[in-house]
Amino acid sequence: MNRDELIKYLQDKFQDKLQLLDTGRAEPFFLIKPEFLVEFCRQIRDDVTLAIDYLCNIGAVDTGERFEVVYNVASVAKRLRFDFKFILDYENPKIDSVQEIWPGANWHEREIWELFGINIRNHNNLKRFLLPDDWDQGNPMRKNWDAPDFKRMPEVK
Amino acid sequence: MGLIKKLPVYLEKFPGGGLVTTSLNYVFSQSQASSLWYLLFGTACCAIELMATGASRYDFDRLGMIFRASPRQSDLIIAAGTITKKMTPRLRLLYDQMAEPRYVIAMGGCTVGGGPFYYDSYAVEKGIDHIVPVDVYIPGCPPRPESLLEGCLTLQKKVKKLKMEDWS
Repeated sequence: MNRDELIKYLQDKFQDKLQLLDTGRAEPFFLIKPEFLVEFCRQIRDDVTLAIDYLCNIGAVDTGERFEVVYNVASVAKRLRFDFKFILDYENPKIDSVQEIWPGANWHEREIWELFGINIRNHNNLKRFLLPDDWDQGNPMRKNWDAPDFKRMPEVK
Repeated sequence: MGLIKKLPVYLEKFPGGGLVTTSLNYVFSQSQASSLWYLLFGTACCAIELMATGASRYDFDRLGMIFRASPRQSDLIIAAGTITKKMTPRLRLLYDQMAEPRYVIAMGGCTVGGGPFYYDSYAVEKGIDHIVPVDVYIPGCPPRPESLLEGCLTLQKKVKKLKMEDWS
Protein backbone atom coordinates (compact mmCIF):
# COMPACT_ATOMS: atom_id res chain seq x y z
CA MET A 1 0.00 0.00 0.00
CA ASN A 2 1.58 3.26 -1.04
CA ARG A 3 0.96 6.73 0.31
CA ASP A 4 -2.06 7.60 -1.86
CA GLU A 5 -3.71 4.24 -1.28
CA LEU A 6 -3.20 4.63 2.46
CA ILE A 7 -4.77 8.10 2.47
CA LYS A 8 -7.72 6.89 0.41
CA TYR A 9 -8.20 3.82 2.61
CA LEU A 10 -8.19 5.88 5.81
CA GLN A 11 -10.50 8.54 4.39
CA ASP A 12 -12.96 5.91 3.16
CA LYS A 13 -12.89 4.17 6.52
CA PHE A 14 -13.23 7.21 8.78
CA GLN A 15 -14.96 9.69 6.47
CA ASP A 16 -15.19 13.18 8.01
CA LYS A 17 -13.67 12.21 11.35
CA LEU A 18 -10.30 12.56 9.71
CA GLN A 19 -8.80 15.57 8.03
CA LEU A 20 -5.68 15.33 5.87
CA LEU A 21 -3.13 18.04 6.52
CA ASP A 22 -0.86 19.35 3.80
CA THR A 23 2.59 19.14 5.37
CA GLY A 24 4.80 18.25 2.41
CA ARG A 25 6.14 15.28 4.32
CA ALA A 26 6.52 11.76 2.99
CA GLU A 27 4.12 10.30 5.55
CA PRO A 28 0.45 11.38 5.61
CA PHE A 29 -0.54 13.62 8.51
CA PHE A 30 -4.10 13.69 9.81
CA LEU A 31 -6.03 15.85 12.21
CA ILE A 32 -8.59 14.16 14.45
CA LYS A 33 -10.84 15.12 17.34
CA PRO A 34 -9.51 14.46 20.87
CA GLU A 35 -12.65 12.62 21.99
CA PHE A 36 -12.27 10.24 19.01
CA LEU A 37 -8.70 9.26 19.98
CA VAL A 38 -9.13 5.93 21.77
CA GLU A 39 -11.74 4.65 19.33
CA PHE A 40 -9.55 5.68 16.37
CA CYS A 41 -6.46 3.99 17.78
CA ARG A 42 -8.37 0.80 18.50
CA GLN A 43 -9.77 0.70 14.99
CA ILE A 44 -6.46 1.25 13.18
CA ARG A 45 -4.83 -1.42 15.32
CA ASP A 46 -7.57 -4.03 14.84
CA ASP A 47 -8.06 -3.36 11.11
CA VAL A 48 -6.45 -6.28 9.26
CA THR A 49 -5.45 -4.14 6.26
CA LEU A 50 -3.74 -1.49 8.37
CA ALA A 51 -2.60 -3.51 11.41
CA ILE A 52 -0.95 -0.54 13.08
CA ASP A 53 0.99 -2.53 15.67
CA TYR A 54 3.62 -0.03 16.68
CA LEU A 55 3.35 3.36 18.34
CA CYS A 56 6.65 5.08 17.52
CA ASN A 57 6.19 8.21 19.57
CA ILE A 58 3.78 10.55 21.26
CA GLY A 59 4.85 14.16 21.28
CA ALA A 60 3.25 17.35 22.46
CA VAL A 61 3.72 20.81 20.99
CA ASP A 62 3.06 24.08 22.76
CA THR A 63 2.40 26.73 20.12
CA GLY A 64 1.83 29.46 22.68
CA GLU A 65 -1.96 29.50 22.27
CA ARG A 66 -2.82 25.82 22.26
CA PHE A 67 -1.41 22.34 22.63
CA GLU A 68 -1.06 19.83 19.85
CA VAL A 69 -0.50 16.18 20.65
CA VAL A 70 1.15 14.25 17.84
CA TYR A 71 1.09 10.47 17.47
CA ASN A 72 3.50 8.71 15.11
CA VAL A 73 2.31 5.22 14.34
CA ALA A 74 3.55 2.44 12.11
CA SER A 75 2.76 -1.07 11.05
CA VAL A 76 5.73 -3.38 11.08
CA ALA A 77 3.70 -6.18 9.47
CA LYS A 78 2.25 -4.07 6.61
CA ARG A 79 5.15 -1.60 6.37
CA LEU A 80 2.96 1.46 6.81
CA ARG A 81 3.63 4.70 8.54
CA PHE A 82 1.54 7.77 9.25
CA ASP A 83 1.02 10.46 11.85
CA PHE A 84 -2.01 12.09 13.38
CA LYS A 85 -2.55 14.87 15.85
CA PHE A 86 -5.28 16.76 17.63
CA ILE A 87 -5.61 20.17 19.16
CA LEU A 88 -6.14 20.83 22.87
CA ASP A 89 -7.18 23.96 24.70
CA TYR A 90 -4.59 25.70 26.82
CA GLU A 91 -6.86 25.70 29.86
CA ASN A 92 -7.04 22.40 31.70
CA PRO A 93 -5.73 20.11 28.93
CA LYS A 94 -6.77 16.46 29.22
CA ILE A 95 -6.35 13.46 26.94
CA ASP A 96 -7.25 9.80 27.14
CA SER A 97 -4.57 7.19 27.62
CA VAL A 98 -3.98 4.75 24.77
CA GLN A 99 -1.87 2.37 26.83
CA GLU A 100 -4.53 -0.34 26.69
CA ILE A 101 -4.08 -0.33 22.90
CA TRP A 102 -0.30 0.05 22.74
CA PRO A 103 1.30 -0.57 26.17
CA GLY A 104 4.36 1.39 25.06
CA ALA A 105 2.30 4.56 25.32
CA ASN A 106 2.73 4.45 29.10
CA TRP A 107 6.11 6.18 29.23
CA HIS A 108 5.35 8.62 26.40
CA GLU A 109 2.23 9.78 28.20
CA ARG A 110 4.07 10.07 31.48
CA GLU A 111 6.63 12.25 29.75
CA ILE A 112 4.12 14.69 28.26
CA TRP A 113 2.22 14.76 31.53
CA GLU A 114 5.37 15.76 33.33
CA LEU A 115 6.91 18.18 30.85
CA PHE A 116 3.74 19.83 29.49
CA GLY A 117 1.26 19.37 32.32
CA ILE A 118 -1.27 17.63 30.08
CA ASN A 119 -3.42 15.36 32.21
CA ILE A 120 -3.87 11.77 31.11
CA ARG A 121 -7.12 9.97 31.88
CA ASN A 122 -6.97 6.24 32.69
CA HIS A 123 -3.22 6.15 33.13
CA ASN A 124 -2.04 3.71 35.77
CA ASN A 125 1.30 5.22 36.71
CA LEU A 126 1.39 9.01 36.57
CA LYS A 127 4.40 9.93 38.65
CA ARG A 128 7.73 11.77 38.38
CA PHE A 129 9.64 10.45 35.39
CA LEU A 130 12.46 12.46 33.78
CA LEU A 131 12.81 15.52 35.98
CA PRO A 132 14.79 15.47 39.25
CA ASP A 133 13.07 13.79 42.19
CA ASP A 134 12.74 17.03 44.15
CA TRP A 135 11.50 19.08 41.19
CA ASP A 136 8.96 21.74 42.16
CA GLN A 137 9.14 24.23 39.29
CA GLY A 138 6.22 23.14 37.15
CA ASN A 139 6.19 21.99 33.55
CA PRO A 140 9.37 23.19 31.84
CA MET A 141 8.42 22.54 28.22
CA ARG A 142 5.57 25.05 28.30
CA LYS A 143 6.27 28.22 26.37
CA ASN A 144 5.46 30.51 29.30
CA TRP A 145 7.55 28.53 31.78
CA ASP A 146 10.16 30.39 33.78
CA ALA A 147 12.49 29.75 36.69
CA PRO A 148 15.00 31.87 38.65
CA ASP A 149 18.08 30.37 36.97
CA PHE A 150 16.51 29.96 33.54
CA LYS A 151 17.91 32.22 30.83
CA ARG A 152 16.37 32.70 27.41
CA MET A 153 18.62 32.98 24.40
CA PRO A 154 19.03 36.69 23.63
CA GLU A 155 17.74 37.99 20.29
CA VAL A 156 20.48 37.92 17.68
CA LYS A 157 20.21 40.72 15.14
CA MET B 1 63.28 24.51 51.96
CA GLY B 2 64.76 25.10 48.55
CA LEU B 3 67.73 22.85 49.21
CA ILE B 4 65.64 20.11 50.86
CA LYS B 5 63.39 20.05 47.83
CA LYS B 6 66.28 19.56 45.47
CA LEU B 7 68.28 17.25 47.72
CA PRO B 8 66.61 13.93 46.86
CA VAL B 9 67.21 14.55 43.19
CA TYR B 10 70.93 15.04 43.83
CA LEU B 11 71.19 12.01 46.04
CA GLU B 12 69.37 9.74 43.58
CA LYS B 13 72.05 10.54 41.03
CA PHE B 14 74.84 9.91 43.55
CA PRO B 15 76.65 6.72 42.51
CA GLY B 16 76.04 3.85 44.87
CA GLY B 17 73.85 6.01 47.06
CA GLY B 18 71.35 3.92 48.99
CA LEU B 19 70.42 6.51 51.55
CA VAL B 20 68.21 9.49 50.93
CA THR B 21 67.58 12.34 53.26
CA THR B 22 64.37 14.14 52.39
CA SER B 23 61.25 15.62 53.85
CA LEU B 24 58.01 13.75 54.37
CA ASN B 25 56.21 16.50 52.50
CA TYR B 26 58.33 15.87 49.46
CA VAL B 27 57.78 12.13 49.44
CA PHE B 28 54.06 12.36 50.03
CA SER B 29 53.28 15.10 47.57
CA GLN B 30 55.55 13.59 44.92
CA SER B 31 53.98 10.18 45.21
CA GLN B 32 50.50 11.61 45.37
CA ALA B 33 51.01 13.69 42.26
CA SER B 34 52.42 10.71 40.41
CA SER B 35 49.48 8.44 41.08
CA LEU B 36 46.30 10.45 40.65
CA TRP B 37 43.80 7.70 40.10
CA TYR B 38 40.66 9.08 38.61
CA LEU B 39 37.06 8.06 38.92
CA LEU B 40 35.26 6.79 35.84
CA PHE B 41 32.78 9.61 35.49
CA GLY B 42 32.00 10.24 31.84
CA THR B 43 28.52 11.68 31.42
CA ALA B 44 28.60 12.90 27.81
CA CYS B 45 30.75 13.38 24.73
CA CYS B 46 33.80 14.63 26.69
CA ALA B 47 34.10 11.06 27.91
CA ILE B 48 35.07 10.04 24.38
CA GLU B 49 38.07 12.38 24.57
CA LEU B 50 38.79 11.07 28.05
CA MET B 51 38.82 7.53 26.66
CA ALA B 52 41.09 8.63 23.82
CA THR B 53 43.44 10.18 26.37
CA GLY B 54 43.41 6.98 28.37
CA ALA B 55 44.10 4.83 25.33
CA SER B 56 47.51 4.05 23.91
CA ARG B 57 48.00 7.04 21.63
CA TYR B 58 48.06 9.64 24.43
CA ASP B 59 48.57 7.15 27.25
CA PHE B 60 47.38 8.57 30.54
CA ASP B 61 49.09 5.75 32.40
CA ARG B 62 52.51 7.34 31.99
CA LEU B 63 51.36 10.11 34.36
CA GLY B 64 50.34 7.42 36.82
CA MET B 65 46.69 8.12 36.10
CA ILE B 66 44.67 4.94 36.09
CA PHE B 67 40.90 4.85 36.08
CA ARG B 68 39.08 3.31 38.99
CA ALA B 69 35.45 2.30 39.02
CA SER B 70 35.00 3.11 42.69
CA PRO B 71 35.16 6.51 44.42
CA ARG B 72 36.77 4.85 47.43
CA GLN B 73 39.89 4.07 45.41
CA SER B 74 40.18 7.32 43.48
CA ASP B 75 41.81 10.65 44.22
CA LEU B 76 40.31 12.63 41.40
CA ILE B 77 37.04 13.13 39.56
CA ILE B 78 37.40 14.15 35.95
CA ALA B 79 33.86 15.40 35.36
CA ALA B 80 33.74 14.69 31.63
CA GLY B 81 30.44 15.82 30.20
CA THR B 82 27.21 17.65 30.85
CA ILE B 83 25.97 17.45 34.42
CA THR B 84 22.20 17.65 34.51
CA LYS B 85 20.33 18.81 37.57
CA LYS B 86 19.17 15.26 38.12
CA MET B 87 22.82 14.15 38.17
CA THR B 88 24.00 16.71 40.72
CA PRO B 89 23.11 14.76 43.90
CA ARG B 90 24.91 11.72 42.46
CA LEU B 91 28.03 13.75 41.69
CA ARG B 92 28.01 15.20 45.20
CA LEU B 93 27.53 11.70 46.66
CA LEU B 94 30.48 10.32 44.70
CA TYR B 95 32.62 13.27 45.76
CA ASP B 96 31.68 12.76 49.39
CA GLN B 97 32.57 9.08 49.17
CA MET B 98 36.13 9.78 48.08
CA ALA B 99 38.94 9.79 50.62
CA GLU B 100 40.78 13.05 51.13
CA PRO B 101 42.84 14.60 49.65
CA ARG B 102 40.56 14.66 46.65
CA TYR B 103 40.54 16.74 43.51
CA VAL B 104 38.10 17.68 40.78
CA ILE B 105 38.80 18.54 37.16
CA ALA B 106 35.95 20.22 35.26
CA MET B 107 36.43 19.05 31.71
CA GLY B 108 34.59 20.78 28.88
CA GLY B 109 32.33 23.80 28.52
CA CYS B 110 29.29 22.17 30.14
CA THR B 111 31.00 21.50 33.45
CA VAL B 112 32.83 24.83 33.43
CA GLY B 113 29.70 26.95 33.04
CA GLY B 114 26.85 25.26 31.22
CA GLY B 115 28.45 25.49 27.77
CA PRO B 116 25.94 25.22 24.91
CA PHE B 117 23.20 24.60 27.48
CA TYR B 118 23.63 27.94 29.22
CA TYR B 119 20.57 29.41 27.49
CA ASP B 120 17.15 27.80 27.07
CA SER B 121 17.84 24.80 29.25
CA TYR B 122 15.87 23.78 32.29
CA ALA B 123 17.83 20.60 32.85
CA VAL B 124 21.55 21.42 32.93
CA GLU B 125 23.51 22.65 35.93
CA LYS B 126 25.40 25.78 34.89
CA GLY B 127 28.84 24.78 36.12
CA ILE B 128 29.75 22.02 38.55
CA ASP B 129 31.43 24.47 40.91
CA HIS B 130 27.94 24.96 42.34
CA ILE B 131 28.17 21.40 43.64
CA VAL B 132 31.81 20.46 44.28
CA PRO B 133 34.99 22.53 44.57
CA VAL B 134 36.89 22.47 41.28
CA ASP B 135 40.69 22.51 41.07
CA VAL B 136 41.28 22.75 37.34
CA TYR B 137 38.96 24.00 34.62
CA ILE B 138 39.52 22.75 31.07
CA PRO B 139 37.43 24.64 28.50
CA GLY B 140 36.65 23.21 25.09
CA CYS B 141 33.77 21.42 23.46
CA PRO B 142 35.13 18.84 23.90
CA PRO B 143 38.76 19.60 24.85
CA ARG B 144 41.34 17.72 22.86
CA PRO B 145 43.43 15.12 24.70
CA GLU B 146 46.35 17.56 24.70
CA SER B 147 44.24 20.02 26.70
CA LEU B 148 43.26 17.32 29.15
CA LEU B 149 46.88 16.26 29.59
CA GLU B 150 47.84 19.90 30.16
CA GLY B 151 45.08 20.16 32.75
CA CYS B 152 46.32 17.06 34.54
CA LEU B 153 49.89 18.36 34.54
CA THR B 154 48.57 21.60 36.03
CA LEU B 155 46.82 19.62 38.73
CA GLN B 156 50.04 17.70 39.41
CA LYS B 157 51.85 20.99 39.93
CA LYS B 158 49.16 22.02 42.37
CA VAL B 159 49.36 18.72 44.25
CA LYS B 160 53.13 18.98 44.52
CA LYS B 161 52.80 22.41 46.12
CA LEU B 162 50.47 21.21 48.87
CA LYS B 163 51.88 20.46 52.30
CA MET B 164 50.76 17.67 54.56
CA GLU B 165 49.33 20.05 57.11
CA ASP B 166 47.08 21.51 54.38
CA TRP B 167 45.24 18.23 54.05
CA SER B 168 42.03 18.52 55.91
